[in-house]
Amino acid sequence: MNPRAAVLRRARPLLGTLVEVGVFAPGLDTQAAVDAAFAVVAEAQACLSRFDANSDIARFNALRRGERLTVRPITRQVLAAAHELRAATAAAFDISLGSAPDGWALRGAELDKLSDDACLDLGGIGKGHAVDLAVQTLMAHGVAAGWVNAGGDLRTFGNVDTPVQLRDESTGGARAFATLRNGAFATSHFGPESRSQLTTRTSSPPRAHASVAAPLCLWADALTKVVALSGDTSHPLLARYGAAAWLH
Amino acid sequence: MHLKLAASAIAAAVAPTSAFAVDYLSADQAAKLMFPDADTFETRSLTLDAAQMQQLDTQGVRARSANWTVRVAKRAGAALGFVVTDDVVGKVELISYAVGIALDGTVKQVEILSYRESHGAEIRLPAWRKQFVGKGASSALRIGDDISNISGATLSCTHVTDGVRRIVAVVALARRGGALT
Repeated sequence: MNPRAAVLRRARPLLGTLVEVGVFAPGLDTQAAVDAAFAVVAEAQACLSRFDANSDIARFNALRRGERLTVRPITRQVLAAAHELRAATAAAFDISLGSAPDGWALRGAELDKLSDDACLDLGGIGKGHAVDLAVQTLMAHGVAAGWVNAGGDLRTFGNVDTPVQLRDESTGGARAFATLRNGAFATSHFGPESRSQLTTRTSSPPRAHASVAAPLCLWADALTKVVALSGDTSHPLLARYGAAAWLH
Repeated sequence: MHLKLAASAIAAAVAPTSAFAVDYLSADQAAKLMFPDADTFETRSLTLDAAQMQQLDTQGVRARSANWTVRVAKRAGAALGFVVTDDVVGKVELISYAVGIALDGTVKQVEILSYRESHGAEIRLPAWRKQFVGKGASSALRIGDDISNISGATLSCTHVTDGVRRIVAVVALARRGGALT
Protein backbone atom coordinates (compact mmCIF):
# COMPACT_ATOMS: atom_id res chain seq x y z
CA MET A 1 0.00 0.00 0.00
CA ASN A 2 1.29 3.44 -0.83
CA PRO A 3 2.01 5.26 2.44
CA ARG A 4 1.39 8.54 0.63
CA ALA A 5 -2.21 7.55 0.04
CA ALA A 6 -4.91 9.48 1.87
CA VAL A 7 -4.86 9.26 5.63
CA LEU A 8 -7.59 10.02 8.15
CA ARG A 9 -5.96 11.17 11.33
CA ARG A 10 -7.65 12.19 14.58
CA ALA A 11 -6.41 12.95 18.08
CA ARG A 12 -8.09 13.33 21.45
CA PRO A 13 -6.83 13.99 24.96
CA LEU A 14 -7.05 10.64 26.77
CA LEU A 15 -4.92 8.61 29.18
CA GLY A 16 -3.27 11.83 30.34
CA THR A 17 -1.73 12.39 26.93
CA LEU A 18 -2.71 12.86 23.30
CA VAL A 19 -4.03 9.70 21.69
CA GLU A 20 -3.81 9.66 17.91
CA VAL A 21 -5.60 7.27 15.55
CA GLY A 22 -4.54 7.10 11.91
CA VAL A 23 -6.16 5.13 9.09
CA PHE A 24 -4.72 4.67 5.61
CA ALA A 25 -7.02 4.86 2.61
CA PRO A 26 -10.10 5.80 4.64
CA GLY A 27 -13.57 4.90 3.42
CA LEU A 28 -17.10 5.91 4.32
CA ASP A 29 -17.16 3.80 7.48
CA THR A 30 -13.78 4.91 8.77
CA GLN A 31 -15.00 7.68 11.08
CA ALA A 32 -17.23 5.18 12.92
CA ALA A 33 -14.25 2.83 13.33
CA VAL A 34 -12.12 5.70 14.67
CA ASP A 35 -14.88 6.72 17.10
CA ALA A 36 -15.08 3.11 18.32
CA ALA A 37 -11.28 3.01 18.79
CA PHE A 38 -11.38 6.19 20.91
CA ALA A 39 -14.30 4.74 22.87
CA VAL A 40 -12.32 1.66 23.85
CA VAL A 41 -9.39 3.86 24.93
CA ALA A 42 -11.80 5.87 27.09
CA GLU A 43 -13.09 2.60 28.55
CA ALA A 44 -9.54 1.51 29.37
CA GLN A 45 -8.99 4.87 31.06
CA ALA A 46 -12.17 4.40 33.11
CA CYS A 47 -10.89 0.99 34.29
CA LEU A 48 -7.24 1.83 34.88
CA SER A 49 -6.72 5.49 35.73
CA ARG A 50 -5.76 5.96 39.34
CA PHE A 51 -7.05 9.52 39.03
CA ASP A 52 -10.60 8.33 38.33
CA ALA A 53 -12.18 7.47 41.70
CA ASN A 54 -14.45 4.88 40.06
CA SER A 55 -11.68 2.99 38.29
CA ASP A 56 -10.71 -0.49 39.44
CA ILE A 57 -7.24 0.80 40.32
CA ALA A 58 -8.46 3.76 42.41
CA ARG A 59 -10.92 1.47 44.19
CA PHE A 60 -8.15 -1.04 44.89
CA ASN A 61 -5.87 1.70 46.21
CA ALA A 62 -8.61 2.72 48.67
CA LEU A 63 -9.01 -0.84 50.04
CA ARG A 64 -7.53 -2.12 53.30
CA ARG A 65 -5.39 -5.20 53.69
CA GLY A 66 -7.46 -8.38 53.42
CA GLU A 67 -10.13 -6.77 51.24
CA ARG A 68 -10.69 -7.59 47.58
CA LEU A 69 -12.62 -6.43 44.55
CA THR A 70 -13.77 -7.90 41.27
CA VAL A 71 -12.04 -6.16 38.39
CA ARG A 72 -13.27 -5.59 34.86
CA PRO A 73 -11.81 -7.62 31.96
CA ILE A 74 -9.48 -4.83 30.76
CA THR A 75 -8.01 -4.42 34.25
CA ARG A 76 -7.64 -8.17 34.57
CA GLN A 77 -5.72 -8.39 31.29
CA VAL A 78 -3.25 -5.69 32.33
CA LEU A 79 -2.79 -7.08 35.84
CA ALA A 80 -2.16 -10.55 34.44
CA ALA A 81 0.66 -9.12 32.31
CA ALA A 82 2.04 -7.19 35.30
CA HIS A 83 1.95 -10.37 37.36
CA GLU A 84 3.86 -12.24 34.68
CA LEU A 85 6.55 -9.55 34.52
CA ARG A 86 6.80 -9.28 38.30
CA ALA A 87 7.49 -13.00 38.47
CA ALA A 88 10.01 -12.88 35.60
CA THR A 89 12.01 -9.97 37.03
CA ALA A 90 12.10 -10.89 40.73
CA ALA A 91 9.66 -8.02 41.38
CA ALA A 92 11.89 -5.40 39.75
CA PHE A 93 8.96 -4.71 37.43
CA ASP A 94 6.66 -3.19 40.01
CA ILE A 95 3.30 -1.54 39.34
CA SER A 96 3.13 -0.53 43.02
CA LEU A 97 6.03 1.86 42.32
CA GLY A 98 7.80 0.67 45.42
CA SER A 99 4.80 0.94 47.76
CA ALA A 100 4.40 -2.85 48.16
CA PRO A 101 5.58 -4.98 45.21
CA ASP A 102 3.94 -8.11 46.64
CA GLY A 103 0.96 -6.27 48.07
CA TRP A 104 -1.50 -7.48 45.45
CA ALA A 105 -2.58 -10.81 44.00
CA LEU A 106 -4.87 -11.62 41.12
CA ARG A 107 -7.03 -14.75 41.26
CA GLY A 108 -9.26 -14.88 38.21
CA ALA A 109 -11.11 -11.58 38.27
CA GLU A 110 -10.56 -11.15 42.02
CA LEU A 111 -7.89 -8.67 43.04
CA ASP A 112 -6.69 -9.15 46.63
CA LYS A 113 -5.03 -6.46 48.67
CA LEU A 114 -2.26 -8.00 50.74
CA SER A 115 -0.77 -4.83 52.19
CA ASP A 116 -2.25 -1.54 53.34
CA ASP A 117 0.65 0.21 51.58
CA ALA A 118 -0.06 -1.22 48.13
CA CYS A 119 -0.96 1.54 45.67
CA LEU A 120 -1.00 0.55 42.03
CA ASP A 121 -0.28 2.65 38.97
CA LEU A 122 -0.88 1.14 35.55
CA GLY A 123 -0.07 4.35 33.69
CA GLY A 124 2.58 2.75 31.47
CA ILE A 125 1.39 -0.73 30.54
CA GLY A 126 -2.22 0.40 30.76
CA LYS A 127 -1.51 2.84 27.97
CA GLY A 128 0.17 0.10 25.96
CA HIS A 129 -2.81 -2.20 26.41
CA ALA A 130 -5.24 0.58 25.48
CA VAL A 131 -3.33 0.99 22.21
CA ASP A 132 -3.59 -2.75 21.54
CA LEU A 133 -7.34 -2.67 22.23
CA ALA A 134 -7.81 0.31 19.93
CA VAL A 135 -5.91 -1.47 17.14
CA GLN A 136 -8.07 -4.59 17.64
CA THR A 137 -11.16 -2.41 17.41
CA LEU A 138 -10.05 -0.78 14.16
CA MET A 139 -9.28 -4.18 12.65
CA ALA A 140 -12.63 -5.57 13.81
CA HIS A 141 -14.25 -2.67 11.96
CA GLY A 142 -12.53 -3.78 8.78
CA VAL A 143 -9.75 -1.18 8.72
CA ALA A 144 -6.88 -2.66 6.70
CA ALA A 145 -4.00 -0.45 7.78
CA GLY A 146 -3.32 2.31 10.28
CA TRP A 147 -1.88 3.11 13.66
CA VAL A 148 -2.66 4.19 17.20
CA ASN A 149 -0.22 6.35 19.15
CA ALA A 150 -0.84 7.16 22.82
CA GLY A 151 1.75 9.81 23.54
CA GLY A 152 4.62 7.72 22.21
CA ASP A 153 3.28 4.22 22.88
CA LEU A 154 2.39 3.27 19.34
CA ARG A 155 1.35 0.33 17.23
CA THR A 156 0.99 0.07 13.49
CA PHE A 157 -0.97 -2.54 11.58
CA GLY A 158 -1.46 -3.48 7.95
CA ASN A 159 0.91 -3.60 5.05
CA VAL A 160 2.44 -0.13 5.39
CA ASP A 161 5.89 0.91 6.53
CA THR A 162 5.29 3.79 8.93
CA PRO A 163 8.17 6.11 9.80
CA VAL A 164 8.89 6.39 13.50
CA GLN A 165 10.63 9.46 14.86
CA LEU A 166 12.06 9.85 18.32
CA ARG A 167 11.30 12.90 20.40
CA ASP A 168 14.20 14.24 22.36
CA GLU A 169 13.08 14.97 25.91
CA SER A 170 15.59 17.77 26.47
CA THR A 171 15.23 19.71 23.22
CA GLY A 172 11.76 18.83 21.97
CA GLY A 173 12.91 18.04 18.45
CA ALA A 174 12.27 14.78 16.65
CA ARG A 175 14.57 12.68 14.51
CA ALA A 176 14.08 9.75 12.18
CA PHE A 177 14.64 6.43 13.88
CA ALA A 178 13.06 3.56 11.96
CA THR A 179 10.19 2.37 9.86
CA LEU A 180 7.76 -0.03 11.47
CA ARG A 181 5.23 -2.40 9.95
CA ASN A 182 2.77 -4.52 11.96
CA GLY A 183 4.34 -3.88 15.28
CA ALA A 184 4.51 -1.74 18.39
CA PHE A 185 7.08 0.72 19.63
CA ALA A 186 7.43 2.50 22.95
CA THR A 187 9.91 4.90 24.46
CA SER A 188 10.27 5.91 28.07
CA HIS A 189 12.52 8.60 29.43
CA PHE A 190 13.94 7.99 32.84
CA GLY A 191 15.30 10.82 34.88
CA PRO A 192 14.53 12.63 38.11
CA GLU A 193 11.99 14.93 36.45
CA SER A 194 10.32 12.38 34.17
CA ARG A 195 6.79 11.10 34.40
CA SER A 196 8.18 7.59 34.10
CA GLN A 197 9.82 6.72 37.37
CA LEU A 198 11.69 3.55 37.98
CA THR A 199 11.46 2.07 41.39
CA THR A 200 14.69 0.32 41.71
CA ARG A 201 16.93 -0.87 44.45
CA THR A 202 19.89 0.72 42.74
CA SER A 203 20.64 4.15 44.12
CA SER A 204 20.44 6.23 40.96
CA PRO A 205 18.21 5.25 38.06
CA PRO A 206 19.78 5.87 34.66
CA ARG A 207 19.05 9.08 32.80
CA ALA A 208 18.20 7.70 29.42
CA HIS A 209 15.58 6.96 26.83
CA ALA A 210 14.75 3.29 26.48
CA SER A 211 12.92 2.21 23.32
CA VAL A 212 11.44 -1.20 22.63
CA ALA A 213 9.83 -2.66 19.52
CA ALA A 214 7.51 -5.64 20.06
CA PRO A 215 4.47 -7.22 18.41
CA LEU A 216 2.14 -5.89 21.14
CA CYS A 217 2.22 -2.38 22.60
CA LEU A 218 1.61 -3.64 26.15
CA TRP A 219 4.88 -5.56 26.04
CA ALA A 220 6.73 -2.78 24.24
CA ASP A 221 5.85 -0.31 27.02
CA ALA A 222 6.49 -2.76 29.86
CA LEU A 223 9.84 -3.84 28.48
CA THR A 224 11.14 -0.24 28.33
CA LYS A 225 11.15 -0.42 32.13
CA VAL A 226 12.91 -3.78 32.16
CA VAL A 227 15.57 -2.50 29.76
CA ALA A 228 16.10 0.74 31.66
CA LEU A 229 16.31 -1.12 34.98
CA SER A 230 18.81 -3.66 33.73
CA GLY A 231 20.65 -1.44 31.27
CA ASP A 232 20.60 -4.54 29.09
CA THR A 233 19.34 -4.21 25.52
CA SER A 234 19.66 -7.98 25.09
CA HIS A 235 17.77 -8.88 28.27
CA PRO A 236 16.44 -12.47 28.01
CA LEU A 237 12.82 -11.31 28.46
CA LEU A 238 12.99 -9.42 25.15
CA ALA A 239 13.28 -12.67 23.19
CA ARG A 240 10.31 -14.15 25.07
CA TYR A 241 8.06 -11.38 23.75
CA GLY A 242 9.67 -11.08 20.32
CA ALA A 243 11.07 -7.65 21.19
CA ALA A 244 14.15 -5.58 20.39
CA ALA A 245 15.49 -2.70 22.48
CA TRP A 246 17.66 0.41 22.34
CA LEU A 247 19.05 2.75 24.97
CA HIS A 248 19.77 6.24 23.70
CA MET B 1 6.53 -7.29 13.02
CA HIS B 2 9.03 -5.62 10.72
CA LEU B 3 11.32 -2.82 11.83
CA LYS B 4 14.00 -1.17 9.76
CA LEU B 5 16.31 1.33 11.42
CA ALA B 6 16.79 4.67 9.69
CA ALA B 7 20.30 5.42 8.50
CA SER B 8 20.54 8.24 10.99
CA ALA B 9 19.45 6.06 13.93
CA ILE B 10 22.98 4.77 14.31
CA ALA B 11 24.37 8.28 14.63
CA ALA B 12 21.60 9.19 17.04
CA ALA B 13 23.40 11.84 19.03
CA VAL B 14 24.48 13.84 16.00
CA ALA B 15 21.40 13.42 13.83
CA PRO B 16 19.67 16.74 13.23
CA THR B 17 16.29 17.19 14.84
CA SER B 18 13.26 18.48 13.04
CA ALA B 19 10.15 20.28 14.11
CA PHE B 20 6.92 18.34 13.92
CA ALA B 21 3.43 19.43 13.03
CA VAL B 22 0.13 17.73 12.33
CA ASP B 23 -3.15 19.25 11.23
CA TYR B 24 -6.12 17.10 12.16
CA LEU B 25 -9.22 19.18 11.58
CA SER B 26 -10.25 22.75 10.92
CA ALA B 27 -12.56 24.35 13.48
CA ASP B 28 -15.47 24.05 11.02
CA GLN B 29 -14.77 20.38 10.38
CA ALA B 30 -14.63 19.69 14.12
CA ALA B 31 -17.93 21.50 14.69
CA LYS B 32 -19.64 19.41 11.99
CA LEU B 33 -18.12 16.22 13.37
CA MET B 34 -19.43 16.98 16.85
CA PHE B 35 -22.89 18.11 15.76
CA PRO B 36 -23.61 16.25 12.52
CA ASP B 37 -27.33 17.07 12.80
CA ALA B 38 -26.79 20.83 12.85
CA ASP B 39 -27.87 22.79 9.78
CA THR B 40 -26.20 26.05 10.83
CA PHE B 41 -23.43 27.20 13.11
CA GLU B 42 -23.87 30.76 14.38
CA THR B 43 -20.67 32.42 15.52
CA ARG B 44 -20.93 34.58 18.65
CA SER B 45 -18.18 36.73 20.11
CA LEU B 46 -18.11 36.89 23.88
CA THR B 47 -16.37 39.53 25.90
CA LEU B 48 -16.27 38.77 29.58
CA ASP B 49 -16.44 41.80 31.86
CA ALA B 50 -14.36 42.24 35.00
CA ALA B 51 -17.11 40.85 37.23
CA GLN B 52 -17.45 37.72 35.09
CA MET B 53 -13.69 37.22 35.04
CA GLN B 54 -13.69 37.44 38.81
CA GLN B 55 -16.59 35.03 39.03
CA LEU B 56 -14.54 32.46 37.11
CA ASP B 57 -11.63 33.16 39.42
CA THR B 58 -13.72 32.27 42.45
CA GLN B 59 -14.58 28.96 40.74
CA GLY B 60 -10.86 28.25 40.53
CA VAL B 61 -10.79 28.79 36.77
CA ARG B 62 -8.35 31.28 35.32
CA ALA B 63 -10.19 32.80 32.38
CA ARG B 64 -6.89 33.78 30.73
CA SER B 65 -8.69 35.79 28.09
CA ALA B 66 -11.75 38.04 28.12
CA ASN B 67 -12.54 37.32 24.48
CA TRP B 68 -14.01 34.05 23.31
CA THR B 69 -15.68 32.87 20.14
CA VAL B 70 -18.47 30.34 20.44
CA ARG B 71 -20.13 28.46 17.60
CA VAL B 72 -23.76 27.71 18.39
CA ALA B 73 -24.88 24.53 16.62
CA LYS B 74 -28.50 24.84 15.49
CA ARG B 75 -31.05 22.74 13.72
CA ALA B 76 -34.20 24.42 12.44
CA GLY B 77 -33.44 27.38 14.68
CA ALA B 78 -33.10 25.38 17.90
CA ALA B 79 -29.74 25.17 19.66
CA LEU B 80 -28.13 21.71 19.82
CA GLY B 81 -24.94 22.71 21.61
CA PHE B 82 -21.80 24.80 21.44
CA VAL B 83 -18.28 24.50 20.05
CA VAL B 84 -15.33 26.53 21.33
CA THR B 85 -11.77 26.38 20.01
CA ASP B 86 -8.64 27.35 21.88
CA ASP B 87 -4.84 27.00 21.83
CA VAL B 88 -2.58 25.96 24.67
CA VAL B 89 1.21 26.16 24.85
CA GLY B 90 3.27 23.56 26.66
CA LYS B 91 7.00 23.17 27.12
CA VAL B 92 7.65 22.46 23.45
CA GLU B 93 4.21 22.15 21.93
CA LEU B 94 1.36 24.32 20.69
CA ILE B 95 -1.95 22.46 20.67
CA SER B 96 -5.18 23.73 19.12
CA TYR B 97 -8.31 21.93 20.17
CA ALA B 98 -12.08 22.18 20.01
CA VAL B 99 -14.57 21.43 22.76
CA GLY B 100 -18.15 20.45 21.99
CA ILE B 101 -20.60 21.21 24.79
CA ALA B 102 -24.07 19.70 25.01
CA LEU B 103 -27.15 21.67 26.06
CA ASP B 104 -26.91 20.27 29.60
CA GLY B 105 -23.47 21.91 29.89
CA THR B 106 -21.47 18.70 29.81
CA VAL B 107 -18.55 18.02 27.48
CA LYS B 108 -19.77 16.12 24.45
CA GLN B 109 -16.46 15.71 22.67
CA VAL B 110 -12.93 17.07 22.55
CA GLU B 111 -10.96 16.96 19.30
CA ILE B 112 -7.39 18.05 18.75
CA LEU B 113 -7.26 20.39 15.72
CA SER B 114 -3.51 20.69 15.36
CA TYR B 115 -0.33 19.83 17.12
CA ARG B 116 2.94 21.72 16.61
CA GLU B 117 6.20 21.01 18.24
CA SER B 118 9.13 23.37 18.17
CA HIS B 119 12.81 22.88 18.82
CA GLY B 120 12.25 24.43 22.22
CA ALA B 121 12.35 28.03 23.33
CA GLU B 122 10.86 29.45 20.12
CA ILE B 123 7.47 28.08 21.22
CA ARG B 124 7.23 31.13 23.53
CA LEU B 125 7.82 33.62 20.71
CA PRO B 126 4.65 35.28 19.43
CA ALA B 127 6.15 35.31 15.92
CA TRP B 128 6.55 31.56 15.89
CA ARG B 129 3.01 31.03 17.10
CA LYS B 130 1.56 33.65 14.77
CA GLN B 131 2.68 31.75 11.67
CA PHE B 132 0.07 29.12 12.47
CA VAL B 133 -2.90 31.39 13.16
CA GLY B 134 -5.79 30.49 10.94
CA LYS B 135 -4.13 27.37 9.58
CA GLY B 136 -6.37 24.38 9.46
CA ALA B 137 -6.57 20.99 7.84
CA SER B 138 -7.33 22.54 4.50
CA SER B 139 -4.18 24.67 4.43
CA ALA B 140 -1.00 23.41 2.89
CA LEU B 141 1.23 23.70 5.92
CA ARG B 142 3.18 20.53 6.45
CA ILE B 143 6.40 20.48 8.39
CA GLY B 144 7.07 16.93 9.41
CA ASP B 145 6.59 13.85 7.33
CA ASP B 146 2.83 13.47 6.92
CA ILE B 147 2.53 10.05 8.42
CA SER B 148 5.39 9.93 10.87
CA ASN B 149 4.70 8.63 14.32
CA ILE B 150 6.55 10.11 17.24
CA SER B 151 7.77 8.11 20.17
CA GLY B 152 9.40 9.65 23.19
CA ALA B 153 8.77 10.62 26.74
CA THR B 154 5.02 10.86 27.19
CA LEU B 155 3.61 14.25 26.43
CA SER B 156 1.32 15.55 29.12
CA CYS B 157 -2.07 16.91 28.09
CA THR B 158 -2.62 18.76 31.35
CA HIS B 159 -2.83 22.06 29.49
CA VAL B 160 -5.62 20.73 27.31
CA THR B 161 -7.62 19.28 30.20
CA ASP B 162 -7.26 22.57 32.10
CA GLY B 163 -8.35 24.40 28.95
CA VAL B 164 -11.44 22.19 28.55
CA ARG B 165 -12.45 22.98 32.13
CA ARG B 166 -12.01 26.68 31.43
CA ILE B 167 -14.17 26.54 28.31
CA VAL B 168 -16.94 24.68 30.12
CA ALA B 169 -16.96 27.40 32.78
CA VAL B 170 -16.91 30.24 30.23
CA VAL B 171 -19.81 28.78 28.25
CA ALA B 172 -21.84 28.18 31.42
CA LEU B 173 -21.22 31.76 32.51
CA ALA B 174 -22.16 33.17 29.11
CA ARG B 175 -25.36 31.13 29.03
CA ARG B 176 -26.36 32.32 32.51
CA GLY B 177 -25.82 35.85 31.23
CA GLY B 178 -28.10 35.12 28.28
CA ALA B 179 -25.36 35.62 25.69
CA LEU B 180 -25.80 32.31 23.88
CA THR B 181 -29.53 31.96 23.38
